[in-house]
Amino acid sequence: MSTATLLASRLLSERWRLPLWIGGITLLTAASSTAVLAQFADPEEQRVLLLAAAANPAFRFLRGLPIGIGTGELVFFQIFTYLAALAGLMSTFLVVRHTRGDEDSGRTELIAATPLRRTAPVATALGTAVVANLVLGVTVALGLALPGLPWRGSVLTGSAVAVSGLVFAGIAAVAAQVLPTSRAANGAAAATVGLAYLLRGIGDAMAQPDERFVTRESGWPSWLSPIGWGQRVEAYQTDNPLPLAIGIATAVLLGAVAVAVAARRDLGASLVRERAGRERARGSLRSPLALVWRLSWPSLVGWAIGAAFLGTVAGLLAPSVADAIGSNAQFLELIRRLIPGSTAGLLDLFVAAILGMAGFLAAAAGAQATMRMRAEEADGRAELLLAAPVGRARWMVAFLAVAVASVAAVLVPAGVAAAVAFAAVGEQDRTGSSLAAAAAQVPAALVFVGLTALVFAVLPRLTVPVAWTLLGVSLILGEYGTILQLPEWMQDMSPFRHTSAIPAEDLDAGGVLALLAVALATATLAVLLFRRRDLAV
Amino acid sequence: MSVIEVHDLRKSFGRTAALTGLDLEVRPGEVHGFLGPNGAGKSTTIRILLGLLRADGGTVTVLGRDPWRDAVHVHRGLAYVPGDVSLWPNLSGGEVIDLLTRLRGGADEALLRRLVEDFEFDPRKRSRSYSRGNRQKVALIAAFARPAELYVLDEPTSGLDPLMDEVFRRHIERVRDEGAAVLLSSHMLAEVERLCDRVTIIRSGVDVETGTLQELRHLTRTTFRLTGADEAAARALPGAHEPRSGGDWVEFDVDAADVPAVLAGVAALRPAGLTVAPPSLEELFLHHYGDRP
Ligand SMILES: Nc1ncnc2c1ncn2[C@@H]1O[C@H](COP(=O)(O)OP(=O)(O)OP(=O)(O)O)[C@@H](O)[C@H]1O
Ligand SMILES: [Mg+2]
Repeated sequence: MSTATLLASRLLSERWRLPLWIGGITLLTAASSTAVLAQFADPEEQRVLLLAAAANPAFRFLRGLPIGIGTGELVFFQIFTYLAALAGLMSTFLVVRHTRGDEDSGRTELIAATPLRRTAPVATALGTAVVANLVLGVTVALGLALPGLPWRGSVLTGSAVAVSGLVFAGIAAVAAQVLPTSRAANGAAAATVGLAYLLRGIGDAMAQPDERFVTRESGWPSWLSPIGWGQRVEAYQTDNPLPLAIGIATAVLLGAVAVAVAARRDLGASLVRERAGRERARGSLRSPLALVWRLSWPSLVGWAIGAAFLGTVAGLLAPSVADAIGSNAQFLELIRRLIPGSTAGLLDLFVAAILGMAGFLAAAAGAQATMRMRAEEADGRAELLLAAPVGRARWMVAFLAVAVASVAAVLVPAGVAAAVAFAAVGEQDRTGSSLAAAAAQVPAALVFVGLTALVFAVLPRLTVPVAWTLLGVSLILGEYGTILQLPEWMQDMSPFRHTSAIPAEDLDAGGVLALLAVALATATLAVLLFRRRDLAV
Repeated sequence: MSVIEVHDLRKSFGRTAALTGLDLEVRPGEVHGFLGPNGAGKSTTIRILLGLLRADGGTVTVLGRDPWRDAVHVHRGLAYVPGDVSLWPNLSGGEVIDLLTRLRGGADEALLRRLVEDFEFDPRKRSRSYSRGNRQKVALIAAFARPAELYVLDEPTSGLDPLMDEVFRRHIERVRDEGAAVLLSSHMLAEVERLCDRVTIIRSGVDVETGTLQELRHLTRTTFRLTGADEAAARALPGAHEPRSGGDWVEFDVDAADVPAVLAGVAALRPAGLTVAPPSLEELFLHHYGDRP
C-alpha cells in the first residue's frame, strides 16, 4: 500500500460523513446570505443595524465585529465566526477519527504492518483534512457569491473558513498524538475550538467603535484565536488576504509537530501517560446506574464548565448592553427581527438569547448522553450487562437518568452563573429571572432525551445520525425559521419554539406541559419498545 | 429436568435464516459441547438462550423458564462469557470483574483471588490496553468467580494461550464437579474432545448430531493403517472404504459394524505393522459437512 492509496482509502471512508458536514455548512452560508440580501435590501436599515451592533458589546461577543455598512460586511459579521467554528469541529473530528480513533480500534496496527512510514497515518489524516477544507472553502465562497455578493469577498471568506479549519486540524493532530484516547483528543481539540470562539468574542466585545460607529479593531484576546485571525481578512471591506498567512503558518507548524511526534513514539503510546487503574472497583460500582454515571461524569463536567462560562458572559455583558442602547426605538425594532417574537426590553432579549443557547447545549448534552446506549449496544458491552440479572428497562432507565442529569449539568450552572454574574455587576433583581430562564429550557431539552431514546429503540443502527439530524433541524426551524420565512406549522415542529424565552416572555405553562408530556411519552415508549426488540450488534 | 431445552428453534435476520429448526438439550452436571463451523448459528442460539434475541419459532427453556419473558430470573442462575468480549475502555479489568460479579450477587472472594492468580491476570490495567486474550480472561474470571447453575461460554478460549487453556480446563472440571452444567461453543475440536461429556453438532442452523463422543464415534468409520502388507490385496478387502497408500503403507476406513470382519481379513494379510484409530472429532466433523480434506 502506498501513501496515496492510504489517502484515497481515507477519503473513500468519508464519502458519506464529509459531504454531510460540508453540505450543512454550505447550506447555512447560502441561507444566511440569501436571507440578509432579501431582508435588508434597504441600505438605511442596514446601516442602523450595523451601527447598533457596533455599539453593543454583547452582539459583538456572539457574532463578530461589524466592519462596515454594506450588505457583504453584514453577512460576514453575521456568519463568519460560526462558519469558522463549524469548520474547526469538522476538522477536529475528522483528524482524530483517522489518527487516535484508528489506533484505539486497532486499524492503525494493520497499516503499521505495511511498508509505509510510521508517519503515514498522521500525514494522510492531515491530507484528508486539507482536501475537506479546500472543498469547504470553495462551496462556502459559492454559497456567498451565487446569491449575489461580490466574488472577491466571497472567495476570501471561503479561504478564511478553510484556513481556520486547517489550524484546528493541526491542533487536533497534535492532541491525537499527545493524548491517550480518541475521546480525550476529541474533547481537548473541540474545547480549543470553543475557547477560540470565546477569546475572539471577548476581544470583539472589548473593541471601541470609531466616530462612524464602525469597529475594525478587536481587543487583544482576539489575536489569540484562529477565528479572530480569520475575521481580520475583513471580507467585502478591505479584503485583506494577509492575515491568512498567520493561520497557514500555524497549521503547517502544528502539522509538522504532530508528524514529528508520530515519528518518535510507539504505536498506541501517548505523551500523556495513563495512570494505572484501580485493582478493585469502588463499593458503589454495583448497578447499571453507577456504571453509566462512572462513564459519563467527565463529559458532564465538561458541559457544566462551558455552560457556566456562557451564563457568566450573559450576566457580565448585560449591563453594557443596556447602556449602549438606551432607548433607541428604531434599533429595538431591528433587534426584534434578529431575535423574533417579542416586545420586551433589549436586556431581557439578550438574557433570553444567551440562555436559549444554553437550552440548545442542554438538548445536545442530553441527546449525546442518551446516544451512549447505541455505542454500548453496538460494541457488545450492553450484552455483557443484559446477560447478567439486569432487566432491559433498568438498563435503559440508567442511561435516561444520566441524560437528565446531563441536561441539568448544563442548565443549572448556566442559570446560577448568570444570576451570580448579575449580582456581581449590581443587578440583583435579575437573579430570579436568570434562574427561571434556565429552568424554562429544561422541557425542550428533555424532549430530545426522549426522542433520541425512541430512535434508539426503533432504529438502533441509525440512532446517532437521526438524533443529531433531529436536533439540527429543530435548531434551524426554531432559530432561523422566521428569518427564512418558513410556514408557521413547520416552525412549530421544533421543540425549541415552545420554550418560553424568559425574561423576554412570560412562562407559557401550556408549552411546558406539552413538552414534558412529549418527553415522558417518548421515553416510556422507548423503554417498552426496547424490551420487545432484539439486541442489534 | 434439563438445564437447557431447545426444540425446533428458528431465527432469521431479514433474509438470512440463521437457525432452521435446532434441537438442543443440556442436562444437569454435564459439559456440553456445541460444535459448528463459522456462521453455523452458535452465537445466535446462545443469544436466544440468554433472552437477548427473540426466537421466531420453537420452544426454549433455560433453567426451567422462558429466557425471553423471564430474562432476569434466568440470568440469576447463569454466567455468560461472550464470544467477542468488549469492555469499558476507561475501567480497569479489576473494576469490570467486580461490577459483573456484583450484578450477579457478589464474588466468592477466595475464589476470585485464586482465579486472578491462576490466569496470571493484572487487574489494574485499563481495559482499552488489554489484548483479546486478556479481555476474555476478564469475562472468564467474572463468570467463574461466583458459583452458577449454568455456565454459557461462547468460544471462550479462542484468545488464550495453551497454558491458560489448561487453567481454563481445570476450572471447567471444578464447576462440573460442583454439579453445574456448562454449554461450551467451539470450533476447536481438541477442546471439545478433551472437555465435553456430550456434544451437539450444528451446521447451517440445524443440529446434525447429538450424543456422547462414544455414541458419535459409532456413527463413523474407524481408520486402519497397514504397513508391509500387499497393497492390492488390502485395497480389495470387503468393507474397506476409500483406500489410499504411499511408500509402504496403505490406509482405509471401515464402518463400525464391519470392524470384526475386516480385522480377520487384515490378519490374513500378515502386515508388518497395524494401527487402528478411532476417528478424531475432526473427521466426525468433516463427515457431517460432507467433504474430505
Ligand atoms: N444481527 C444479525 N444480522 C444479520 N445476520 C446475522 C446477525 N447475527 C448473525 N447473523 C447471521 O446468522 C448466521 C449465524 O451466525 P452466528 O454468529 O450465530 O454463527 P456462529 O456459529 O456463532 O459463528 P462463529 O463461529 O463465526 O462465531 C450467520 O450467517 C450470520 O451472518
Ligand atoms: Mg459466534
